[in-house]
Amino acid sequence: MARAPKKNLVGVAAPSRGRYVGTGNGPTFQPIDIGHPDYVALIEPDTAFWALVERAKLADVALGGDLLKAYRKKAAQFAKEMDMLRFGLKPSAVYFNPTERCNLNCVYCYIPEKMRRKGQHMSQEQIVEALAVLKRYFRTTVPKGSQPQIIFHGAEPLLNREAVFAGIEQFADDFRFGIQTNATLLDDSAIDFLREHDVSVGISLDAPTSAIADRTRANWEGRGVYQQVIDAMSRLKDYPGWSVICTVSQENLRHLTKLVDFLHEHEVPTCLMNILRCTLPKSRSVKPDDASAAKYFLQALDRTHELYQKTGRKLIVGNFANILLAIVAPAARRLMCDISPCGGGRCFFALAPNGDLFPCSEFIGLPAFCGGNLFRDELPAVLDSEPFRLVTDRKIEQIEPCGRCAIRHFCGSPCPAEAHEMNGGMQQVGAFCEFYEEQVRYAFRLIADEKIDDYLWEGWDKDMQQTFAMS
Amino acid sequence: MKQTKKTVIAYRKTCPAKGTGLSHYILMDKKAK
Repeated sequence: MARAPKKNLVGVAAPSRGRYVGTGNGPTFQPIDIGHPDYVALIEPDTAFWALVERAKLADVALGGDLLKAYRKKAAQFAKEMDMLRFGLKPSAVYFNPTERCNLNCVYCYIPEKMRRKGQHMSQEQIVEALAVLKRYFRTTVPKGSQPQIIFHGAEPLLNREAVFAGIEQFADDFRFGIQTNATLLDDSAIDFLREHDVSVGISLDAPTSAIADRTRANWEGRGVYQQVIDAMSRLKDYPGWSVICTVSQENLRHLTKLVDFLHEHEVPTCLMNILRCTLPKSRSVKPDDASAAKYFLQALDRTHELYQKTGRKLIVGNFANILLAIVAPAARRLMCDISPCGGGRCFFALAPNGDLFPCSEFIGLPAFCGGNLFRDELPAVLDSEPFRLVTDRKIEQIEPCGRCAIRHFCGSPCPAEAHEMNGGMQQVGAFCEFYEEQVRYAFRLIADEKIDDYLWEGWDKDMQQTFAMS
Repeated sequence: MKQTKKTVIAYRKTCPAKGTGLSHYILMDKKAK
């Protein structure tokens, strides 16, 4: 009788069983120094799994034992979660630019100056038509019971106020609306309208004094608009749906802690302190270096904590809160810049006033990234177009050094627009790297010291499930 | 009394993913009202 052929013959694949950490199919645990006296982080980058381990016990914990056993049981689930987050989401938001024009000429704006000076408004009819098209599209992507989101953005959307407000009124039941404005046109009647229609309002302010704020945000004659923003903030004070965005640049970096004091004093519930985007050359003139950016940004975060301890009231820094969430609850993150692929063209897209569609507002000044037109093309085809795919196919594994970086799924190497324009291609890193490294280290120190609740919204984990716990 | 230091701190939470935002704008979790 003929014998059955032996398995594992020469020429037949014999993959490792994954018995050991760091070789073959074993988990890749990378240790990183988080700057904490007692703990180091151990990270499995592909699944965004992490553990903080007592320094003296690192070797024992990393190479075997209970942590490894517990991780093995969950690895497939975590890999699936990351895969869904990175590749399984569908669009649910649009950044809707109802005008090309702006009454300001901010140093770091990503919309070309010519557009902002002499561009076109969308007509009211076009805004209504665009919202009708988007409503039909989102019926196919957004689950019943959820509302897609429309954020009027710019340039300055309130320059086209009548048409924008007409759109909001007509589609009040179909979308959640928001508006991002420079606040110069935010008079009492505009605020009344936005309150009545539950529109979230984001306003822009870069510093606590006019001398600094007006360096980066001024009108075409060079006059700063600080005082107008402060007036608008006073009027918004008791409205729960407002926030402040600060763009962090070389001009205001050293004043972030004072800005935190100022925003807290004005009872701002949430702010973003976004490092500036370097997509257009002009913005690079005020680019801070990574080390300084990290130093002053983390000092500002420290200050929010001091104020919380002193007053019992938080000022949430939304972009940092998002990094914390990316670590402790990856699927809960809200902002989709710090993940790869980023949210551009897959979670949201941007609509220019002529109907042209871009993966993100950041690309509006770059015609090569136009994927089609809302009034002429089918949205699914636009989302699958070559210009969109340039962005949605940008995966961190293909970027050097990100592909071997332990924190690649907490950072995402943002942003593709600046990687392309500033660093020479989609497979290049974004404009800041060490800045993200330092934020992630800071976040891990907060976890080690059990302080993360102080940096997140009340009830941030209310509807969440625990999928791993070990201590 | 000083708490005993934990050898390992590791946890993870999950929820349905709703991330839609880009860094130019804060998406509010709740309706404004």
